[in-house]
Amino acid sequence: MPVITVRGLHKSYGDFHAVNGIDLTVEQGDVYGFLGPNGAGKSTTIRMMLSLVKPTSGTVALFDKPLTTHREEILRRVGAIVERPDFYNYLTAYRNLELLGRLSRADVSTASIMRVLGIVGLDTRAHDKVKTFSHGMKQRLGIAQALLHDPDLIVLDEPTTGLDPQGMKDIRELILSLSADHRKTVFLSSHILPEVELTATRMIVINRGKTIVEGSVQDLLNAGRLRVTIETDRPHDAVTALGTTPFAGRINGMTERALILMLDRNEIAGVVHHLDQHGLAIHGVVPVRSLEEYFLSLVREAS
Amino acid sequence: MMITALRVELAKVFSKWRTFIGFIAMTLLVPVIVLAMSAEGGQYFSFAMQTLQQAFTFTGNLMNGYTVAYIIFGALYLHVPFLVTLVAGDSLAGEATSGTYRLLLTRPLTRTTMVTSKYLASMIYVKLLVLWMAILSLGLGVLVLGTGEVIVIRSQITIIAQNDVLWRFALAYAFAMLSMMTVASVAFLCSSLVENSIGPIMTTMAIIIVFTIISAIDLPLFDSIRPLLFTNHMNGWKLLFDDPVDWSRVATSASVLAGHMAACYGAALIIVRRKDILT
Repeated sequence: MPVITVRGLHKSYGDFHAVNGIDLTVEQGDVYGFLGPNGAGKSTTIRMMLSLVKPTSGTVALFDKPLTTHREEILRRVGAIVERPDFYNYLTAYRNLELLGRLSRADVSTASIMRVLGIVGLDTRAHDKVKTFSHGMKQRLGIAQALLHDPDLIVLDEPTTGLDPQGMKDIRELILSLSADHRKTVFLSSHILPEVELTATRMIVINRGKTIVEGSVQDLLNAGRLRVTIETDRPHDAVTALGTTPFAGRINGMTERALILMLDRNEIAGVVHHLDQHGLAIHGVVPVRSLEEYFLSLVREAS
Repeated sequence: MMITALRVELAKVFSKWRTFIGFIAMTLLVPVIVLAMSAEGGQYFSFAMQTLQQAFTFTGNLMNGYTVAYIIFGALYLHVPFLVTLVAGDSLAGEATSGTYRLLLTRPLTRTTMVTSKYLASMIYVKLLVLWMAILSLGLGVLVLGTGEVIVIRSQITIIAQNDVLWRFALAYAFAMLSMMTVASVAFLCSSLVENSIGPIMTTMAIIIVFTIISAIDLPLFDSIRPLLFTNHMNGWKLLFDDPVDWSRVATSASVLAGHMAACYGAALIIVRRKDILT
C-alpha cells in the first residue's frame, strides 16, 4: 500500500505556477528524497501534502485515503517539520511538546516527552524556554515534536539546516533507524545532497514545479555516465594512449597519479584493457557517481 | 477534540505576559481609586452634587463602596477595550507572526476546531478580566467604604436603595462582558486578516473611534446606521441603573452586540478555512 500518492498536483498564484503537475508515489518503509533547487516548488508541494495549502488541481492521498476527506484521520499518523522550526518561544521545550502532543493525541507523559527530547539530545534543556534556543536546537525540537505521537509517516523539510556536523550525522542515523528499525516512512526534503544519497532509498527531483526524474536512488545513480578515476604512475602517457580512441573526448581531468574520465559503466573494462595493452600499470579504478553531480546535470538539462 | 484544543489555547493565552497586563493594570488602579475616594471622596461628592445640594439635603453614607464601584465601572470601561484587543487581536495573527500555524494545522484538528477554540479562549479571557474588575471594585469598595445607596445621574436622578443594587451590578457586569466580547470579536476578525499582532489592535481601536464619532454626531445621514453600530450599544449597562429598567432597550442592545459577535466569529472562520498557510 502506498503511503503517499500524489497525482497531477498543481498550485497557481495568478499566472505563476508554483507546482505544475507533480506525480509521486512513496511506499511504506521508503526514505524518500525530495530534491530541487530553491523555488522549485518543494515547500508548496509539502504544504499541499499536509493540507496547509489548497491545491489548484490534483489529488493527494496518504495511507490510500484522500486528504480532502480524511484529513484528521491521516494527520494523526503524520509527524512533520515544515520549513523553519518555529515554536511558542514563551514556553519551555517540554511545554511546547506537551501542548502539541495533546493536539496530536499523543502520550504526553513525562517519560514519553523526555524520551523524544533524549533522542534529539535536548533532555537537559527540557525546561528552558525556546526563546533561549539556537536555530539548531529548535531544529532538533522540531524533530522531537514530529516523533512524539509515534507517526507512521514523517515529513522532514530540511531537517539538518543549522545543525553542526555531529548533529547532521545524528539526524542521518536517526532517519536510517526510523526506516530500518521502526518501519517508518520518511519523506525527506533536503538541499544537502550527500544527506539524501546516504539515507534515501527512492527520490524525486523537481524543478520549476515539474518532475524531472523519479526512481530508486541506486538506479538513478547507476544510470548514465560515471566519473571514473584511473590510478596510474604515468597519466600523461595514458592520455597519449587514449588519443586515437573514442575515449579521448571523455577525459575530464588529470592529477599527478590519476586520469579522470566520464564513462558509461560498460566502457570501463575497455579503457582499462586498452591502457594495459599500452604497457601502463593500473593501480586502481574508482567509479563515482555523486548525487550532487547527477542533480546538477538534471537541473542543467531541465533549464 | 474541542475541549483539548480549548485547554491548549487557554494554556497558551495564560502563559503570555501580555495576558496579564489588563489584570495588573486593574490591580494597581482600582485600589488607588478606592483609597483616593476614601480619603477625598467627600469633597469629590460635594463638587459633583453642588447644584443639587442647593435644593436637596443628602443624608446617609452616599460615598460608599457601591458608588465607588459605579464610578470605577464608568471610568475603566472606556479603557478595557484596549486591554481585550491585546489578547484577541493576537489570537490568530500571533500564530502567523511566529510561524506556528504550521505546527497547529499539521495536527489532527479541523480548522473550525482551531478557530473556535481560539475564539472561546479569547472570550474566556474577556470574562475573567471583567470579573476581576467587578471583584476588585465592588469587593475593595465595600471593604473600605462600606455599603449604601447609589446616586445615578443620567437624564434623570436615580437613587438606588442599598438592597436593590447588587442584582443591578451583576447584570451590568454581565452586560459589560457582552460588550467587551463584542470588541474582542472585532479584534479576532481583524486578527484573521493580517499576519502581525499590532494590526488587529490598531484596526479595532480605529473602528471603535470611528463608530463612536459616527454615533456621537447628530446628522440625519447617520440615523439609519447608528442603531446598528456596536459602539452605540456598549454603554447599555447603564440602562440597568435606571428605575424602572427599560428591558426592551437592554434586550435590543444585547441583541445587536450578540449579532456582531456572531458575524465576526463567522467571518473569521470562513477566512481561516479558506486561507493558504504560507507563513
